[in-house]
Amino acid sequence: MAVKKLQIALYWGAACGGCDVAVLDTNEFILDVAALADIRLWPIAVDGKYADVEALADNELDLTFFNGAVRNSENEHLAKLLRRKSKMLVAFGSCAHLGGIPGLANLTGREEILTKNYLHNPSIEPGNKKIPLPETDLNGQLLQLPYFFKRVYRLADIVPVDYCLPGCPPAPEQVKLSILALAGGKRPPPGSTIGAAERNLCDDCQRSKSEKKIKHFYRPHEILQDPDKCLLEQGILCMGPVTRSGCGVRCPDTGLGCRGCYGPAPDVMDQGSKFISALGSIIDSKDPHEIETIIAGIPDLTAILYRFGLPASFLQRSLKL
Amino acid sequence: MKAKIGVYICHCGSNIAKIVDCEAVREYISTLPEVAIARTYKYMCSNPGQDLIVQDIKEHGLQRVVVAACSPRMHERTFRAALQAAGLNPYMFEMANIREQCSWVHDDPQAATEKAKALAQAAVRRVVHHEALEQMTVDMCPNTLVIGAGIAGLTATLELAEAGQKVFLLEKQDHLGGNLARVDLTAPYLDSARDLLIERITRVRSSGNIELLLNSRLQQLQGYVGNFTATLSRTGHDGPGTGKIREIQVGNVIVCTGYREFAAERVTHFGYGKLPDVITSFDFEKMLQAGRIECCDGTIPKYAAIIHCVGSRSAEFHGYCSRVCCMTALKYVHEIKSAVPSCYVSDLYIDMHAFGKGHEDFYRRTSEVKTMFLMFGKGDHPIIRSAGPKDDCKMLIEVNEQLSGELIEIPADLVILMVGMEAQEDAMETARLVNISQDKEGWFIESHPKLDPVATTTDGIFIAGTCVAPKDIPDTVAQARAAAARILARIAKGKIAVDAVYAEISDDACSGCRICNELCPYSAIEYDDKKKRSHVISAMCKACGACVAACPSGAIKGRHFTDQQILAQIEGVLR
Repeated sequence: MAVKKLQIALYWGAACGGCDVAVLDTNEFILDVAALADIRLWPIAVDGKYADVEALADNELDLTFFNGAVRNSENEHLAKLLRRKSKMLVAFGSCAHLGGIPGLANLTGREEILTKNYLHNPSIEPGNKKIPLPETDLNGQLLQLPYFFKRVYRLADIVPVDYCLPGCPPAPEQVKLSILALAGGKRPPPGSTIGAAERNLCDDCQRSKSEKKIKHFYRPHEILQDPDKCLLEQGILCMGPVTRSGCGVRCPDTGLGCRGCYGPAPDVMDQGSKFISALGSIIDSKDPHEIETIIAGIPDLTAILYRFGLPASFLQRSLKL
Repeated sequence: MKAKIGVYICHCGSNIAKIVDCEAVREYISTLPEVAIARTYKYMCSNPGQDLIVQDIKEHGLQRVVVAACSPRMHERTFRAALQAAGLNPYMFEMANIREQCSWVHDDPQAATEKAKALAQAAVRRVVHHEALEQMTVDMCPNTLVIGAGIAGLTATLELAEAGQKVFLLEKQDHLGGNLARVDLTAPYLDSARDLLIERITRVRSSGNIELLLNSRLQQLQGYVGNFTATLSRTGHDGPGTGKIREIQVGNVIVCTGYREFAAERVTHFGYGKLPDVITSFDFEKMLQAGRIECCDGTIPKYAAIIHCVGSRSAEFHGYCSRVCCMTALKYVHEIKSAVPSCYVSDLYIDMHAFGKGHEDFYRRTSEVKTMFLMFGKGDHPIIRSAGPKDDCKMLIEVNEQLSGELIEIPADLVILMVGMEAQEDAMETARLVNISQDKEGWFIESHPKLDPVATTTDGIFIAGTCVAPKDIPDTVAQARAAAARILARIAKGKIAVDAVYAEISDDACSGCRICNELCPYSAIEYDDKKKRSHVISAMCKACGACVAACPSGAIKGRHFTDQQILAQIEGVLR
């Protein structure tokens, strides 16, 4: 009798599709996955209906990779459903892990988002301005839409998660290693962060580091960079010091500051507040006005600090929600 | 196992109990699951109060203790000692301040009681996460470096050397005595400054325990209390050894770098530098030392005028009083009267500050030698102009006299400006080298202005004399001897205890990003280029937390101030 194949599902919540592409970016390894496993659900690549998942026995799936945040009732339903059907649930990518880019919506409210998008968006034709409702009666037919939540949640806010695989998107090599690790006998202890390192990015960054003093912030295109010197020392915002390593230093190696997508470094509780605390310590001025001017050189500070993790931060959301 | 915590709520007589309902706080705290025992007492800091804690620890096996009372600055040590006496680690203790933060600042008893509950609960939540910490001891090198060989430096040096300890006495000039060597007599007893100094200088030069380093400067000071390495360089313009660098080992440093006189040319309205017979107090001291009081043309002055507060007590220059000028001015009256009995002396002052021992008497005696005292207003100043050919004097001084309310004109052949004291030109450099702070006027800052006046916030660095603030010779000498005594007490112990609360860096979590490197106000952080890791020299750390907050990877932990402890405390307040 043939060895029982691994039963897996891949699902996207509030996501951009990049995480699914990261799985495909494992290239020919995807064929090994197909040989190793039955893919029971993968909306982006494989035909499968929610009804098929609902028909599964509890714990019938060995492994589910859930990418995307939880933004609406459909995301929530699938999160709960897949949790029930899966032995292992992995929060895959920044959105499932920490709330991700969609999580920045927590800086505004539900009403504001709907009003702006469906009433005041310049691309909407006059006379066609309607806020979609969860239920609409169209000629006696009941049309249903998922309910749009007041705020964005990370997966772990909704259901217990076994592993987190960070990144926006996760590095394909890390995806491959994680699948092999979870499919194999030697699984990391539940609750672990997988596909990442137990250190921060600077530890893996080869740029030279010295004492830091910042007089001016630059966006990467605004200066001629020294390719061997720490970006932060050159005034380029780089979240590397507060961010978990594992991506392969992708951004700093190409001259862009780390955006922080792998989430807080292992000993960091709150990525954004830690970073502002560190920045505050190295801004090279004691004059309040000059400090204001230097800080003003950072566009949209909150979004930079919490680009990938607002729902998972101490702040979580704006109070006006 | 759940922590067994004892909570003690202090009435502080009626200080706390008059506003805070201590019994209600006790009842509330007793309901917390970790609290094994909760009591109130009239004075927790009293011996019976402390005994209560000691007994409960022994009888009930308490593992942690919270005292809700005054500020930790006041009594944390007291209660830590009580824990230690009962065999508990002293760090298993937390204080909730329900006096300064509740009863003293609120007048609504109900709200103050609720706040006291919240603060006590926060302390309970925090203490659960406290860890037993051990103090370290480090060896104390018995040698001392004294910087500056004025009266303060000479005094401190002798005090240490004559107690049998080795002292390096560093002086940037080529001679000993500092500013005092520029002075003739001293107020109020008119002793000779020279006599005061010569006796000390002779003792310094003949002592086998003192190494005198003239024409030398401190270049660098590394290490920490008990274990400093000082790098010194020779600064002389020529002669053997110029530019030579030398390293010495010392356990403590006394900074006695003194003051410099206020530059009178900064005050334009007295014509200093233009009117040749307008001179400063230090110009006049030179005359006195030379033994002849005369005008620039060699004539003996018939009229002398002394103007107080030049550069001091002014909005434009220094707001502070230089403390010695009033008595020095009176001394000049006596010296002029004794050398030129016929000379008519006027003394133009704002207020006569005669606060020291024997000063008021000195003022009275000066009035008796027929001195014309004229009071001018703060913010106002006398106006000096050259006299006309018909006048029998060189200059005329117009003063808006406060006591009579009249505009008075007085003659003068010689005008003495009482220039104040200001921080040395290189005070900032000195402060940076030895890692101490300066106030806005440049004076060095004490550890505590009243209770710890010669220590600084950098352990092992002491300050004495006029580098701290203007003061007279007795105060300077007292400070110098106090600093020496503090050091002798430490040398006698041989070892020095370093607080168990300090920052430490986890090698595993540190990425060598170097954000912390420049932050430490105590220079306690070192970067290891080979390991690519930073580390804290724990004996130098004062646990200020600057690096802990800044460390982006969370590698730096403040012992006794961990994130877990602080967050638990916050949660406790927000109950």
